[in-house]
Amino acid sequence: MKIILRIIFCLFFGAFAFQIYAHHAFTAEFDPNAPINITGKVVKVEWINPHAWVHVEVEDESGKTVWMVEGGTPNTLIRNGITKKTLLPGTIIIVRGYQSKGRLCLPICIANGRDVTFPDGSKVFMGSSGTGAPRDGTDPRELKRE
Amino acid sequence: MLLEFSIWLSETEWSIALHESLYLYPWIESAHVLSICFFIGTLIFVDLRLMGLAFNKLSISEMNSKTLPWTIFGFGLMVLTGLLLFYAIPVRTYQNIFFRFKLFLILLGGINIFLFHRQMSKEGGKWDEENIPRSVHIKASVSLVLWAGVIISGRMIAYNWFDCDRQPQPDWVNWAASCMIELSQMEDF
Repeated sequence: MKIILRIIFCLFFGAFAFQIYAHHAFTAEFDPNAPINITGKVVKVEWINPHAWVHVEVEDESGKTVWMVEGGTPNTLIRNGITKKTLLPGTIIIVRGYQSKGRLCLPICIANGRDVTFPDGSKVFMGSSGTGAPRDGTDPRELKRE
Repeated sequence: MLLEFSIWLSETEWSIALHESLYLYPWIESAHVLSICFFIGTLIFVDLRLMGLAFNKLSISEMNSKTLPWTIFGFGLMVLTGLLLFYAIPVRTYQNIFFRFKLFLILLGGINIFLFHRQMSKEGGKWDEENIPRSVHIKASVSLVLWAGVIISGRMIAYNWFDCDRQPQPDWVNWAASCMIELSQMEDF
């Protein structure tokens, strides 16, 4: 009887551990079916752990929209080649990524950043690799889907 | 008042250095999780022993005296690293409903520990020979539920679904997170 209870207990906590592992940040907040491709001016960069945020102002016929684009940790960004000196406010960048699930732009649009293209044409990843974001095959560091 | 304090904290040099740090923040985060393993990990086994589900051949007094130093060590490290994590991101954490709920659960857990230890110092000597009273079983199971809740709500702090800068939110969220500043800014849009 006691052994059965113990097994039930282990299964219960084991299931919890698995759920939390599977409940990943990307799928919890972002929509893999809502890819974005925006060009705009960097207005602000928040260098915050565990996710940095790049605020990009996009201008089109309807006016200006600010996008808050989530990146990896400051450490990840620097390893990928995005630093406080290369991502200065005012820089025009192209960002590919995925919009938040709500798709509401109130008061600003929110997205998860896949990669950034700088004015000189160099393209770097901004931290979504391996987080549960769609593996589009562009990042060779990502393992192929099983 | 607490909001002003959080804003002041967030503008201090070390707070900025912490949340921008390349290594220190993840190290503190990892130490926080490890300290939870020490604190709640040892606590779980004592709870299971009190409920008669594990280590039944060990006497409660021996089990307690052996695990308590680890529990206290874990608790100390947990509080220290937790304070540092709060210090790194004060305003958002202060306004986070999961953080607030977690503090509430920790308070309940603390009261439960206090009640348990008071009861143990009164009559705990008898538990090694006699049956453990039902009230202790209840305290042990309450402890398991509360600390599991603390871990879950602690993990949820990372998700920003209910953050004040994400509006519109239901009224109860804005109330529970006291999002006054964000709401007054929203009116400009």
